[in-house]
This record gives sequence, structure tokens and C-alpha cells, in this order.
Amino acid sequence: MTPAWRPPAGLAAGMVVLLVYAALALSSLTAAFDAALTIDIGARLLAPSAAHWFGTDALGRDVFAMVAVGTRASLGVALSSVGIGLLLGVPLGLLAAARGGLVDDVLARGSDLVFAFPSLLLAVLLSAALGPGALTAVIAIGVFNVPVFARLVRGNGLSLMQRDFVLSARVAGRGTLAIAFDHLLPNVATLVVVQATIQLSLAIVAEASLSYVGLGVQPPAPSWGRMLNEAQTLASGAPWLAWFPGLALAFAVLALNLVGSALAARFAARVPGEAS
Amino acid sequence: MNPASRRGGGPHLALALLLLASLLGAPATAALPGRTVVLGLALEPPNLDPSATSAEATQDVVYGNIFEGLTRITEQGRVAPALAASWSVSDDGLRYRFTLRPGVRFHDGSPLTAADVRWSLQRARAAGSTNPLRELLAPVRAIHLIDELNLELELSRPVAELLTYLGWGNLVVMSAATAANAATAPVGTGPYRFVEWRKGDAVVLARNADYWGTPARLDGVTFRIVPDASSALAALLAGDVDGYANFPAPESVAALALDPRFTVAVGSTEGETLLAINNARKPFDDVRVRRALAHAVDRRAILQGAMYGYGEPIGSHFPPHDPAYVDLTHRYAFDPATARALLREAGYPNGFALTLRLPPPYYARRSGEIIAAELGAIGIRVRIENIEWAQWLEQVFKNRDFDLTIVSHTEPMDYDIYARRGYYFGYSNATYDARLAELSRTREEAVRMRLLGELQRQLAEDCVNVYLFELPKLGVWRRDLHGLWREAPVQGINLSGAYLDGAATVGTSSTAAGPTGRVLAIVALGILALGALALRRHVSARHLLGRAAALALTLLGASALIFLLVNVLPGDPAAYMMGLNANPTAIAHLRAQYGLDVPAWRQYLQWLAGFLHGDLGLSYTYRVPVADLVGQRLAVSLPLALYALALSLALALPTALAAARRPGKVLDSILMGLAQLGLAVPNFWLGLLLILTFSVQLHWFAAGGFPGWDAGLLPALRALTMPAVALAVPQACILARVLRAELGLALAEDYVRTARAKGLSPVQALRRHALPNAMIPALTIIGLQFSFLLAGAIIIETVFALPGLGRLLFQATAQRDLIVVRSVVLLLVAAVVLVNFLVELLYAVVDPRLRDGGAR
Repeated sequence: MTPAWRPPAGLAAGMVVLLVYAALALSSLTAAFDAALTIDIGARLLAPSAAHWFGTDALGRDVFAMVAVGTRASLGVALSSVGIGLLLGVPLGLLAAARGGLVDDVLARGSDLVFAFPSLLLAVLLSAALGPGALTAVIAIGVFNVPVFARLVRGNGLSLMQRDFVLSARVAGRGTLAIAFDHLLPNVATLVVVQATIQLSLAIVAEASLSYVGLGVQPPAPSWGRMLNEAQTLASGAPWLAWFPGLALAFAVLALNLVGSALAARFAARVPGEAS
Repeated sequence: MNPASRRGGGPHLALALLLLASLLGAPATAALPGRTVVLGLALEPPNLDPSATSAEATQDVVYGNIFEGLTRITEQGRVAPALAASWSVSDDGLRYRFTLRPGVRFHDGSPLTAADVRWSLQRARAAGSTNPLRELLAPVRAIHLIDELNLELELSRPVAELLTYLGWGNLVVMSAATAANAATAPVGTGPYRFVEWRKGDAVVLARNADYWGTPARLDGVTFRIVPDASSALAALLAGDVDGYANFPAPESVAALALDPRFTVAVGSTEGETLLAINNARKPFDDVRVRRALAHAVDRRAILQGAMYGYGEPIGSHFPPHDPAYVDLTHRYAFDPATARALLREAGYPNGFALTLRLPPPYYARRSGEIIAAELGAIGIRVRIENIEWAQWLEQVFKNRDFDLTIVSHTEPMDYDIYARRGYYFGYSNATYDARLAELSRTREEAVRMRLLGELQRQLAEDCVNVYLFELPKLGVWRRDLHGLWREAPVQGINLSGAYLDGAATVGTSSTAAGPTGRVLAIVALGILALGALALRRHVSARHLLGRAAALALTLLGASALIFLLVNVLPGDPAAYMMGLNANPTAIAHLRAQYGLDVPAWRQYLQWLAGFLHGDLGLSYTYRVPVADLVGQRLAVSLPLALYALALSLALALPTALAAARRPGKVLDSILMGLAQLGLAVPNFWLGLLLILTFSVQLHWFAAGGFPGWDAGLLPALRALTMPAVALAVPQACILARVLRAELGLALAEDYVRTARAKGLSPVQALRRHALPNAMIPALTIIGLQFSFLLAGAIIIETVFALPGLGRLLFQATAQRDLIVVRSVVLLLVAAVVLVNFLVELLYAVVDPRLRDGGAR
């Protein structure tokens, strides 16, 4: 299937939003944010204003500052878990394509197994065994990403194996590893990048979902998911508590999706659905 | 394809269906007795012996329900007869003669006698007694037995409050034969008897049919421990609990008061909430430092920030609703400048560092965060340490190893604690002690009032602790539950007069078997129909067999993985399930009971064998078969997922068709742009926004909860509507984009052009020719979506407090009920795998090219 609708300005818009997030995450390390995160009961549950762009929470903390600090948790978990997927999945897929046999079989059965678990279920199960926390979230989301990349690389690698330049390399006596990394990898790299942007957006939502149910980043570190959880009981009096962390989440996902489809269009790549 | 192979497909499919039916068709539970209620309890009692512990949670469960004293305290705070039918006091106030009620029996059948009363009081005042009221009994010189039903207390000096003390939970009457086991198996005389205590989960009581007084109108009461304040509301909305005598989330009380399903009763307690100071430790031995702390703390801010305005500020250790109360809240006004000046004077111009140890109750944890910030403003660097009750009792209360702590002293008339030597405040003042002794000798009301006022002023003057607020009693319970106390003049949740309206059944535990069975039957029939369709269209047996084998392998692998994670990884699952305070005997018993004492591979095989028979074992926390639990929860989750799937299709199909009519035109761009936006909205956030709009603003739907299918089809569907929308919208966006793309491709094909040339309108061509072809890839997405909908339902059920499988899974995870966790997870996995299998079968039906597992 081909992406149906590609916004022409999608890449630029997406990149700008992502840069804003990166800037937010970095600037949230400065002292100004510590001050905004201190408790000030006199300023509790204030609606958005010039002084507090996103309003304040039940303890008078600045919601904008909390959202900014939450960027770190969100991007941190998403990048690490997709990183796990890339580091394990890509070599696995390359090997399966270049060598086939046992590696291929193990990969096929392994991905069947992982895909049998709805994504969050694996995380719930892991936190039952390991206890909740950012690390559990990274592992759970990361495990889910491994077969996504492995299958993508394997599928495209297999068709590359029939191409002349690979055949001639084999005739020249090059080994499996050399073929996998010198010939297959450069040719699947763009596909992998496109898939990685999609997986990042899925990972951000997964992290927020886990934090929302209390299995992700633990307090007191702010995270978008937990902010939304805390917003729920206060929603009637202070709806902005539910708006801004959610908007931050949605914009991050939208930006990554835009960048992903723009890249896919640029490389004229067909990005298969993650489990098909 | 030959006829043999056609027939060959039958048994395998039948096998698959049978497997599914055995998983889903587990018998549902019979409804529980209709007159029991489940009350939420924020803290689990450390034990159930009220004569040996000062823990309020123990009193909450046992006082007035299981155990009774000679006297009792009414809701209005007055002394009334209980086990003693009458009494007389000598003129000098030194002799109290009690006459017991005849015919009273303990729950074990033994009769109550004066000897039991004497034994209980002797035990409380004995040298090694851990009874918190032991010191109050010091003036008791002797206890004389007169006959079976009469006894006399002889005092060394008058104790004006004696009849009140005897009505408190620590001085209840036990029998010598059973008191030793009271910590785990309490036997009293009260309107309820003890049934069982499931550690970490619940304490269960049942009506005492032989009660001497008016028998309880409820068949039983379960105190369920809900330790997390944030899940308290969800538990209430989901019907997991019927109410709370002390609701731990004040932020939700205002909204609950407007909810017609609940009664909110805000009353007062005897709980003085203190920022307790270790007066014996430097620098807090300096009154200037203590006063600096008092000036630095803004009570109003704490009441707003931590208690959402519930509770009354106090200036000394005395409840505002008492007639003898003196308002001292202005003695130390909130004034950081004065606080800093006092610190300078005391020799700490740059402040100092201290540790604030916080026990688990929400008021302590929340106030602590605010106080730490406020003390920071005057230069005191506060390190917060969150500790459990057991640690608090050991470190703070017993060993006095602390700087500051926050705790509510809920005992009534407890100003005597300031005269106790060795009490954890480390306070001693001879003037205070003398006045207290005088008070105890005095029975004249006017003089007592004056003395009580002087005691309050002395504590404020010495600034022993920072007095924060009187703890409110936030009662929230189902509207049809009555007779619970609004006020709390004494510790304990008194349920002697509680009753339910009419013949209402209770909670969600009574979801009837009928509808569950019907839902399952409908699903099974649908699957059967699909299977029959697939067979009629000549699906090759070899293909079916291959796919079924892969499916079985996946399920086997998944079950092994689950078993490894749940049963092997945590080490000893029995110890894990029992939690921190388990003893080896109990763990061994549990291990035997759940078959955890055999080798892991045998446990695994037993689990699998049971699973195939629909026997998923017995839940550790609920003590009912897991299959029953799953059946009840499935009756919520499955309709929710199907509802969402239907909505998703209903949204996506017209959108894709409308967009594909004029490719690249404005409508196409707008619709697909919207889909791109919708894709970015996580379902749980959408759920929150729906609640904000349709529950909070418009009041069209309840913010959460599920009335059960018994309440009728429409109310049930209504409760599932917002959750289904939240689940469906993001999925519809994906589906619409895929369908639109496929329609675009199909429109360019020759057969569509031919159809157009034949004279069909563009819309007709789209519907009759392009759509069927676009449906094939859409089927993949729909199959995948079922997996997403199930996973999504886990989160959405939390957002909307629905008693579905996802919520069961989270509860079981939190309660460490591994028996439930592993089976629920495997069931969800099986559902996903089976649906994908069925989708593959369906391909073969709609697209003949795929029948032998080729092409794709």
C-alpha cells in the first residue's frame, strides 16, 4: 500500500516541531525551570495566562515547565526503545536475509510470538515481573520494536540478494557478514529510517499510555502520561491540565508522522505495515 | 481440489472452535448474596487485635463490628451502655459497679461473663501490655468479681473520663480462650463475626446471627484495601467498592457530591493532624526553632493544596467541634519574616537541614510536599522520606528516630499523650502534667472547661508541634446504602446500623450469568458461521492445517514466555503474592494450595492442561475461579471491542468513499488531513477530552462506571458509548487512510474503467467494483485492529473505570495475583492470534487467488 496523501510542507513542519521539542528538552535542564517547578500553593490551579502559559497544577507548579521536563522522559524512553529495536532488529534481519536457514526460522517464529502480544500487554506483564519504571517501559517497547525492524530488513534484503551486485559479490567469495553489512545495509538504510520515525511516534504513545496507568516513569519526575492521569480527577475545575500534556503528545506524534510520510515519499519507499 | 480434502478441513476447524469455546465458555458465577457491601480501606490493618495496637486501621475494621466494650460512644459522642447494661458510681468517684447484659455470647458460642471483662482489663493494664491505653488504666487499683454478671472497678483516684475510656476500641472485651489468636482470628461479641483476612486484599465479616442486640441488616461486609488514593475513585465508579467511610481523595469529593449515584457525607473526626517535632533532638529543643517552623507553615495553603478545603485549621491539640475548644490558630500567624528572625535569634541564620518522615496516608504525603517547600522558603532544607506504617511505628513512634513527621492523632481526648514520658514528641512540662491531673480529678463541668482551655494554651505556647488541621471525615457511598456514620467521635467504622435499600444486588460481582453466556454464544456462532463459509468455498485442508500448526506453535511459545515471566522470574511466586509480612508457614501453605511446590515444568503443563479444560485455577485475591472472573469481565471488554470495531468501520468506509470520489480535490485533502490529525490523538487522551466535554460540561454521559447488563441493554450500551468512540476514532483514521489508498489504486484498474464505459456512474463503479477489491487489504488492518482494540481497551477501561479484562489485569498486577495475571494475558494473546487466523481464512473466502497460501 502507498501512503495516500502527502502534505507538501509536511517534512518542514514536522522537522520544525521536532526541533522545538529538542530545544524544550534541553532548556528544561536550566535553573529557570527548577524555579517554575517549585510548589506555590498561592498560585495553585491558575488558568493559562501570560505568567503561566499553560496554567498551574494543584500544587501551583507551572504546567508549561512540567510539559517541557516531561519531553525528556517521553523522548528518552522512545529513543531508547527504538534504539533497542534498531540495534537488535537490523542485524538480525540482515543475517536472516543473507544466510537464511536457522536464523530465518528463529526470526519468523520469534516475531510471530512477539506480535501475538498486543503491545501494552507485554509491558504490563513485564512490570508485573520487574516492577514498574522507565527501564521496564524501555524494555517492553524495545522488545516490540525488534521484530518490526528485523522483518522489514529481512524482506527487503531477500529481494536484494537476487540482484546482480550481490550475486557478483558472492561469486567473488565475500562472506555472509560482509555481504550483509556492505551490500544489504546501505540499501535498506533509508527504509529503516522511515520505519524508525513511525516507530518513534508509536513508542511515544506507548510510553504515555504506560505512564498514564502508572507503569511508566515514576514520580516525582514529570511525564505527559502521568500528568494526564492526575488531570483526570481535577478535570472539572481545571481542564487545562488535561489539554496541554495531551497536545504536546499529539503534536509530537503528528510531527513524526509527517516527517515519516514525507521521507517515505522522498525515497519513494513502500513502507509495509509493521506486522504484515 | 478433491472432496477428501474438503472434508479434511472440517475436523481441524472444529478443533479450533472447540478450543475457543472451551476458553470462552467457562461457567459464570452464581450471583453473590445480595446484602453484602464492600467498603474501601486506604490502609491495611497490621493485625486485628485492637487491644495490642494503636493502628487506626485495626479499629476501623473490628471496633463496634467484631468487638465491643462495657460502654460505647454514640455518633454524637455520648457514652451509652453496651455490654454493661447499667452501672453505678460511688460518691467519691472511686468505685464503679457494672452489671453485664445477660445472655451475651462470643462468636465461638461461649457465654460472656464478668470474668472475661476482668481478664480483658487486667490484660490491658498488665506490665508487659502493649495496649495504647495502658497508662490511662494506671489509677485502677483492683477489679473485683461480684458474680457472673457483676463486677466492680476500684480506683486510687477519681478518673472523670473512665466511662468514656471504656467505650474506646482498645478496651474491648475478649475471652481468655481466644484472645491469643485475636491478631489473625478475632472472636468478639459484636454484630459481625470474622470470616477471613486475605493479606493485601481484604478482610471479610459476616452477620452474627446470635447477636444480643438488634441484629445487623447486612449479610456481610468486606473491607477491601485500596492503597492508592488515585485509584480510589476508579474503584468506586467501577463498582469494585460500594463506598468509603474515609475517602482518600478529597479532590473528587465535590464532583461525587453532584453524582446521583452516591451519597457524600462530610463530617469531623477526632484527628488532630500535626507536623510532629522531636522536641528532644537538637535544634528542636529550642522553642524559638519550633516557633520558627510554626510561623513558616501556611495552614490555609495546606488545607487548600492537600485537602481541597476540607478540614479545619487548629492552633493546639484539640478538636474545634468540642465545647471546650479555644481558637489558637492566630498564635503563630503565617509569617516567613518572623520565622527567619526566630531562626537567626536561635543561632541558625542560614537555616539547617532536616528529614521529614512521612507515613502513607494521603494527607501526610500531600501536606509534606507543601511543608517542605514552605520550610525551604525560610532556609530550612527538607529531605522527604516516604515510609510504610510498620517503619513509622518502629522508627518514629517507638525509637523516636526522626526530626519531623506528619500524622493525624485520631484518638479522642488524647491530650494526655503530652504528659506521657517517653512519648515520641519528647515533651515534658510539669505545669502541664499538674493541670492534667487536676482535670482528671474534676467532675464539675465549668472547672473542666477552664482546665481544658489552659491545657490547649500551654501546648500552643510551648509550640510542642505545629498544629495543622482537624482531619475531616469524607464519607462517600452508594446512594442506596444507609446507616453509616457521618461523624467519627471514636475510631472505627461502625456498621451495626448499616443497610441497603430494597432488594438491590451489590457491586459488579453479581453480573449475571445469562448475558455473559449470551454474548459468548453470539461470538461463537459468528465464528462458526465464518468457518462454515470458509469451508464451503473450498479452503484447502493442507493450507488450513499448516496455519493451524503455526497458530498452535505461537500459542505454545506465548504461554511458555508468560509462564517464564510470571512464575519463574519473580523467584518464589508464593512469597511474592503474599507480600512483605508473610510468614514461612503461610507461604508453604499457599505453595501447596496452588501447586507451586512441584517442579516448574510440571506446573507449566498443569496450567496448560487446565487452560484447555477452561479451568484457569482459583484467584489468589478474589478466591473465586479465574474462569468466572474472566467471564464476567469479558462481558464488558468484548462488547466494547466489537462496538468500537463497528464504529470504526462506520466512520472509515463513508470517509474513504467520499474522499476517493474526486481524488486530489479539496474534499479528499480535507478528509485525509483530518485522518492524519486523528491518527496523532492517543485514545486515552481522546477519552479524557470526551469526559471533559460530555460528562463535565454537558452532563450527557456519566464520567465512568458500568451499570451491568442487568440494568438493561440501553443503559449498558450508553455506558460503553464514550469508551467505544475513544477507541474507534484513531483506528478509523488508520482504516480510512488505507481504504482511500486502495480505492485510489483500484480506480486506476482496467475493470473499473470498463465498468465506467459500460455506463455505470462513478459512485456505482466505486461501490460495486473498487470497494470489494480495496476490502482485501482493509481486512488485514481490521484483523490487526482487533489486537489494538483489545490492547487499547486495557487503557480505556482505566480511563472510564469499566470493570473489564484490562482493569482486572491491572488490579491483579497491583495485588500480585499472578494466577490471574498469567491466564488473562494468555487469553488476550489467544484472542489476538485466533482473530488473525480467522482473518486469514476470510482472505481465502474473498480472494480465490489466496486459497493455497500463495501470492501473499
